[in-house]
Amino acid sequence: QERITGRVFSAEDGGPLPGVNVVIKGTTNGTVTDAEGNYSLTAPPDGVLIFSFIGLATQEVAIGGQTSLVVNMASDSRQLSEVVVTALGIERSKNELPYSAQEVRGEDMTRNRSTNFVNSLSGRAAGVDVKTNNNMGGSTNIVIRGYKSIMNNNQALFVIDGVPVSNANTNTNNQRNGAPGVDYGNAAADINPDNIESVNILKGAAASALYGSRASNGVIMITTKKGRKNTFDIIVNSGVTWGKIDKSTFVKFQEEYGGGYVQTFSPSETYNGVERPVPNFTADASFGPKFEGQSVYNWDAFDPNHPNYHLPTTWRFAENGPEYYYETARQSNQSILLSGGNDKTTFKVGYTRSDETGVLPNSELNKNMFNFSTSFDFTEKLTVTASGNYTRVEGLGRYGTGYSSANPNQVFRQWWAGHVDMKDLRDAYFRNGQNITWNWNADRNRPIYMDNSYWTRYENFVDDTRDNYFGYVSANYKVNSWLSVMGRAAVNTTVDYQGERIAVGSNGVPKFERFDRTFSESNYDLLLSANKDLSKDLNLKAYVGGNMRRSEMNSVRASTSGGLAVPELYSLSNSRTPMTPPTEVLEKIGVDGIFASATLGYREMLFLDIAGRRDQSTTLPEDNDTFFYPSAAASFVFSKLLDAPWLTHAKVRGNYAQVGNDAPPLSIYDVYDKPAAMGSVPFFSLPNTKNNPDLKPERTNSVEVGVDADFLDGRFGFDFTWYRTSTFDQILPVTTTGAAAYTAKFVNAGEMVNKGIEVSAFVVPVRTTNFSWIANLNFTRNRNEVIELYSQGGVPVTNIPISVNGVAFQGGVTLNAAVGHPYGVIRGTNYTYHPDNGQPVVNANGYYLPTASSSEIIGDPNPSWLGGINNTLKYKNLSLSFLVDIRQGGDIFSLDMWYGDGSGVTPITAGLNDKGNPKRDRVADGGGVLLPGVNQDGTPNTTYAENYNGSGATAYGYVANGGGGAPRAAYVYDGSYVKLREAAITYTIPASLLTGLKFVKGIDVSVIGRNLWIIHKNMEYSDPEESMSSGNTAMGYQSGAYPTVRNYGFNVKFRF
Amino acid sequence: CVDSLDDYNIDQKKAGVVTAETLYSAALKNLTDIVTTPSVNSNNLRLYVQHWTTTTYLDEPRYIMTSRTIPQAFWDALYRDVLADLKEARRIIEADQFILPNVKNNQLAQIGILEVYSWSVLVNSFGDIPYSEALDINNSLPEYEDAHTIYLDLLDRLDVALGLLNTTPAAPYTIGFGGGDLLYNGKTNPISFWVKFGNSLKLKLAMVIADIPADAARVSKAVTEATRDNGEFLMKANADNARFPYINDAPNNNPVATNTNSLFTSRQDFLPSNTIIDQMNSTSDPRRSAWFTLWVATPPEGQPAPPGVYKGGTYGQTNTPVTQFSRLSARIIAPTAEALLVDYSEVEFLLAEAVERNLIAGDAAVHYNNAITASLSYWGVAGGDITAFLAQPAVAYATAPGDWKDKIGTQKWLALFNRGYDAWVEWRRLDAPALVPPTVTNQTYIIPKRLIYPVIEQQVNGANRNAAVDKLEGGQDVAAVRLFWDAE
Repeated sequence: QERITGRVFSAEDGGPLPGVNVVIKGTTNGTVTDAEGNYSLTAPPDGVLIFSFIGLATQEVAIGGQTSLVVNMASDSRQLSEVVVTALGIERSKNELPYSAQEVRGEDMTRNRSTNFVNSLSGRAAGVDVKTNNNMGGSTNIVIRGYKSIMNNNQALFVIDGVPVSNANTNTNNQRNGAPGVDYGNAAADINPDNIESVNILKGAAASALYGSRASNGVIMITTKKGRKNTFDIIVNSGVTWGKIDKSTFVKFQEEYGGGYVQTFSPSETYNGVERPVPNFTADASFGPKFEGQSVYNWDAFDPNHPNYHLPTTWRFAENGPEYYYETARQSNQSILLSGGNDKTTFKVGYTRSDETGVLPNSELNKNMFNFSTSFDFTEKLTVTASGNYTRVEGLGRYGTGYSSANPNQVFRQWWAGHVDMKDLRDAYFRNGQNITWNWNADRNRPIYMDNSYWTRYENFVDDTRDNYFGYVSANYKVNSWLSVMGRAAVNTTVDYQGERIAVGSNGVPKFERFDRTFSESNYDLLLSANKDLSKDLNLKAYVGGNMRRSEMNSVRASTSGGLAVPELYSLSNSRTPMTPPTEVLEKIGVDGIFASATLGYREMLFLDIAGRRDQSTTLPEDNDTFFYPSAAASFVFSKLLDAPWLTHAKVRGNYAQVGNDAPPLSIYDVYDKPAAMGSVPFFSLPNTKNNPDLKPERTNSVEVGVDADFLDGRFGFDFTWYRTSTFDQILPVTTTGAAAYTAKFVNAGEMVNKGIEVSAFVVPVRTTNFSWIANLNFTRNRNEVIELYSQGGVPVTNIPISVNGVAFQGGVTLNAAVGHPYGVIRGTNYTYHPDNGQPVVNANGYYLPTASSSEIIGDPNPSWLGGINNTLKYKNLSLSFLVDIRQGGDIFSLDMWYGDGSGVTPITAGLNDKGNPKRDRVADGGGVLLPGVNQDGTPNTTYAENYNGSGATAYGYVANGGGGAPRAAYVYDGSYVKLREAAITYTIPASLLTGLKFVKGIDVSVIGRNLWIIHKNMEYSDPEESMSSGNTAMGYQSGAYPTVRNYGFNVKFRF
Repeated sequence: CVDSLDDYNIDQKKAGVVTAETLYSAALKNLTDIVTTPSVNSNNLRLYVQHWTTTTYLDEPRYIMTSRTIPQAFWDALYRDVLADLKEARRIIEADQFILPNVKNNQLAQIGILEVYSWSVLVNSFGDIPYSEALDINNSLPEYEDAHTIYLDLLDRLDVALGLLNTTPAAPYTIGFGGGDLLYNGKTNPISFWVKFGNSLKLKLAMVIADIPADAARVSKAVTEATRDNGEFLMKANADNARFPYINDAPNNNPVATNTNSLFTSRQDFLPSNTIIDQMNSTSDPRRSAWFTLWVATPPEGQPAPPGVYKGGTYGQTNTPVTQFSRLSARIIAPTAEALLVDYSEVEFLLAEAVERNLIAGDAAVHYNNAITASLSYWGVAGGDITAFLAQPAVAYATAPGDWKDKIGTQKWLALFNRGYDAWVEWRRLDAPALVPPTVTNQTYIIPKRLIYPVIEQQVNGANRNAAVDKLEGGQDVAAVRLFWDAE
């Protein structure tokens, strides 16, 4: 026996680890490390020490005659999930959990230094569908286990340390419907990734029932980093990344024909005695004259400050096309986190700053994030914890989205003229800051449709700020060994400002518009918890609690009217004509809930859960404002009964739960709209949506069963879950015929079912001292069906559009809830298929014959499955991790292609036909296009379709078929993709090299990349993941899609 | 527990109770907007009658209604933004126990007249529509009803409304909606103008169905009543016109300006069509200067500019650059330009027609001349120029080409230049002038005889909409099908 002393450190941050169990293998003798991580014990020199600590990988170290052993312990994802933080911050052992909950470690989400941690969840958890938009700071759509509510919110609830926080999307309804707008992102992006210890995803109703109504969409539970007693650590991160657009997601241009709708120039003009033709500047299309080196007066010949003023130039495809416009994005990210504590106190102080510029000119996004938390043990029994967090986001020049010339992609992808040189356009703007455009109106005194793309960014920019405050105080009192009481008060407040400008000289009416919004939510919780062994084999855990939630949203949107009186002054008082009255909204919600739950555990093997909650919500009519919902669950750790050494752990589980939901605020009583008064004559008008004083709560029933198993001592394991949820009595503002006096009304009806399977698995192919390889796999398959909508006088309604206010999207397609179909199906005109041979039918002119009805189902935006493969390889101090993210299926209508093909921008519209003649020649001259298909009589199509101009004689897009347009179905694309989402190589500088640096505990140097490679996709010229916003319409439709930004850079992490 | 003293469902920023007047005036504004606007998203009728055409985008002058949800915008505006608010105003007035009976009747009559006007626009555009089951959100699947039946009911409703109007005793009791009456507020005895508006509307509605033999008696009765006392109760001067006074400030400026005036848009989508300008050039129509700008060709370098001419864009074809053509005048695109719902000129045209149809006695030529005179003087043409214009053989009633339908139809089509909806009704009814759809290789176009049903009706009221479509000639919801009153 010898005396052995040593110290245990965290491999993550280098800090000493107190409380680590050190046991001599084969005995029960051991000790625990002290506050400084020191230990000391007596052991045989040939013995083995086992170091274990919850959440960290257990290590066995042979003493080998040494008397001093220093051990670094690394966290273990499997081990860490032994304890899971569940609803209300309650910690439970993974063993007893009767539902599926999947944890993602903070480390995994911060490795790539993305400032929006929500984006980093993509592919990391089964059942979670994350759609990231490509615009700077743009919103992220996050839906767990499918869309459940037909018209209301389907986004997951975000919870920090047990307290719900806002994930509001403040974008306008127009923006969300693909009309002009700006994507300001959603509030979950304000959460500091460096402050996240772990994220646990509660997917089913049973897991989240204790949060009440709002949790029916699943919960993203965030546990923040905490200080540890008797330690002091500093972590500093410093990193820079750069971003460039992925050209495979940007439009390609045909290079043979320039701007115009017809192949002739406008009448010639003469300057300095030189007569030359003039291109048609008013035409925002590329069906113009062929590039044959002609000499013309181009747009620059009419800019008095341009070197080419009144000089002819050569008609040719631009040297610098629109991709020149995209700059290199840059992001710098600096953070510091101090944490520690003494015997009674812990604290944590963090600050993260990120400065970002986007790929568009004049775009900036700055975030300052402060985090503070502390805990103090007043007595042995009473602990008080407090946390305060503040994030300030300042945006400048966030991107315009949708069908708007403020979105450069609308211009580039849909309405571009191939002769326009972007560099030249840039110079024309910067020469003296004027709106010099290629797209002059016929009078050549201002742009007709498209401002100079640089003017758009430097003059018509938006700015915004969001202050996000979140804090809580909680007190925990241990009454006795088995009973404790927790009380907590929490507040989350967001203050948004958004300012939008259109400068004097733009093509739009000059304006300044501002939106101010304050949202505040308070939560008061009281929770009584008991944990008592009733007998040797029987354990009872019980919770009884209450929650009081109050929220208030106050907003004002105001805009100048009729232009700006003085240029460059962006103030409401600068309105040219009297301002239209601002729109004010005040929404208050109060919900009181009481709940109870009990878990009976038998020999740590068999667990039975029951829970119930009763909510009273102010958004419902008083007679119907209270609703109760129960859940029941069981789990059985059957591996405890088996004596199979290959089976480390195995459990079956099943649960049933119901969750009730209340109505959106202000949907009970009728009020009037107030249009702007006409001089002194005031107007009132009935609103477009009829409220309903008889609403009752909406319900979701869910059933879930699953198996978890680990094999071969943690070398392989999986979690399998099957679930079915049915959401019924839905509170729907359904679209109605305007003939009924309103275009929407609230009803209480409808049912939607989601069924699916989720698999998350891990495999450790290699695990040696120096080399390890861990692969995590996630698979999600959700099937969704609209079972029922509502009935009117016994007549069932079988379809309602789901876009905001029921409007059809530009291009004449709609997203719909259609009975018997998956949620969100795309409707529009289809090909007419021949009844005998199933081939698309062409008409007498050789164009595809669209169906008469524009209500044909032409696409299903739901993916058939999602997958994620995450690999981590470690060799000594070097680690490589990469994430492959897969989406299979999910249809998208592309307005970009619908217009881009119709306006002659894209390559398919030019080149040679199968006879070897230019497609843009007249059919009589051997040109035109032979579309694959059959004639009405079923014989193969032999009629070449005219494709020589953009005024109705094109074979593609919106003006095909003599102006009627091609079948919309031709512009529905498969949204499948395989992406190398993230990759990181990290080198941990060995401690031996740091001996000279006394204060440094460790340095990690990482090379990181995000969205590096789209390995496979079926949609040309676009990122199939790109959408407009977050929300129910964030699928199935693209307009002015932004290209993917590839990010790469490095990060250095210091631990002190 | 949730504090029951505060009802959080009460919207603190919106009114729960309003006066009928505010709903009425909003409905009137919305009605005027939808029949006046040239927005390609909601009303393309100025194109269909070839008063205007487009520069670049040809879907609309080529009658494509499905690229956008044009019929839906037209439909929703009339049902939801006009008729629903009128119905609500009526409900409030009927429930008001303190309003003076005289005022109440006048207000109900004003509502009634606008309701009939609005319904007639719907029927004359779509044909069969939801009617007696409409405007009830508790029945959001309203049945479509026969257009002809609806139309006859409208005539009855108009009679009821007219019967409620009371112009005596004199002011201050003869008010209706007072300041909310944006058409005639400020006139002495505004209700007397509503009598003229109502009777003129009655004459107009009756004449629309004058080709239907089965309705002869109903038409005759209506015309006789409307023209009683030598037309004492009809509009007798431009001062009687039902004119809506748009103001300078958005959003209450004239919607024509919104879509054409550089104050509001940079687009240059519209220009006058060659169809109307060629017609007017042939008679040197003095209204041209009120409606169009002169086009001056660019002279060869060093040469003086040639005199300006009126030159319209070729209907339904590309017309770029727009600087190669005459454009809409500053008066037409002024933000404050007034809009007309019924005018004196059209009443005189109707009287001329009534004479020709032997519904009233008189001289059709006199009414015809009065109508043209009213139109020319409305547009600021001096008296001498009017006389000269009337004297032209191509204009004069005796010598103008064709039968009375051609003569009246052609001049009425001109007089209704700034009123696309009415011009479309009259053109379909009188079949004059002969308009030719654009010629495009391999394409055949038919000028719409109706609007197709809104696309969304298929989705939200499918069974009823399909039943209505089944009744259409050919069983297809197409624009080429004529309405019940469109004999030819």
